Amino acid sequence: MNPNSTIGHVSLGRSDYGETLALQRALHTKRCSDSLGDILLSVEHNPVFTLGRSGSRDHILVSDSVLEQQGIKIYDIERGGDITYHGPGQLVIYPILDLRGYGKDIHRFIWSLEEAMIQTLKALNIPSDRNEGFPGVWVDGRKIASIGVYVKNWVTYHGLALNVHVSQEHFRMINPCGLSVETVSVCDLSDVPVKVSEIGERVVWQLGALLEKDIVAMNREEVI
Amino acid sequence: MSTDMIPIRMPDLGDVSKAVVVQWLQSIGCQLVEGDDLLEVETEKTTFVIPAPASGRLVAIHAPETAAVTTGESLGEIEPE
Repeated sequence: MNPNSTIGHVSLGRSDYGETLALQRALHTKRCSDSLGDILLSVEHNPVFTLGRSGSRDHILVSDSVLEQQGIKIYDIERGGDITYHGPGQLVIYPILDLRGYGKDIHRFIWSLEEAMIQTLKALNIPSDRNEGFPGVWVDGRKIASIGVYVKNWVTYHGLALNVHVSQEHFRMINPCGLSVETVSVCDLSDVPVKVSEIGERVVWQLGALLEKDIVAMNREEVI
Repeated sequence: MSTDMIPIRMPDLGDVSKAVVVQWLQSIGCQLVEGDDLLEVETEKTTFVIPAPASGRLVAIHAPETAAVTTGESLGEIEPE
């Protein structure tokens, strides 16, 4: 199969945020040097808050001691956007894609990330939509998915986070994306029990279809 | 702008209306090599790194942090080597 017509998908399962960030950066370097093709990483993190380039610690609503008690670390990272939460029950997908192969269009790329989630939710009978000016996916004014991306040399990393069955306790510790918005999970809207890994496979497949690429399952050892 | 300066222009990022300068990664007077990371702009929750278009010295910044910029706009100038 022509590697230019495929995107590799590596499912990492549960993985520490810092470890996955190091992996993303390593894969980004390899992709920039063309020693690796396009890759999607899917993962579920241990609890963590990340602050993007527009982020402010003012949007953390609890003290450092509470975070320490809960074992929640904070990472200042390079992606766009403000603060967000990652944790168990949340699907995170990191696309490491060379956008020169997709028309060098940031808007189209973000639209595709959103659309992959909207179509996945639709298949679960959950109607969702965009919110003009606020990238992400929304259900009746409640945020179900966040987006934050970094692009260097036209190669992306960071990506999307879709709440599947996330504890609201941790979200209440922040103003997600710097907004005072309510968040929601798939499990709040569907009677059918769903696993993060299953939703991950669906979103990855949808994204491949939208980008007109075949998805090829790979393991971690094949990409590092 | 003097004729021998090289403009740093906002690249075409596709169907986006505008972006905001997040930070300059180099200061006025810095010696640059073509391709060095020069500044970051943000649009649609995406941080995009703009590389130096040429080697030389960064002599002017026209779009400071938080400035809204559009495709083709002059962000600064490089005095070539």
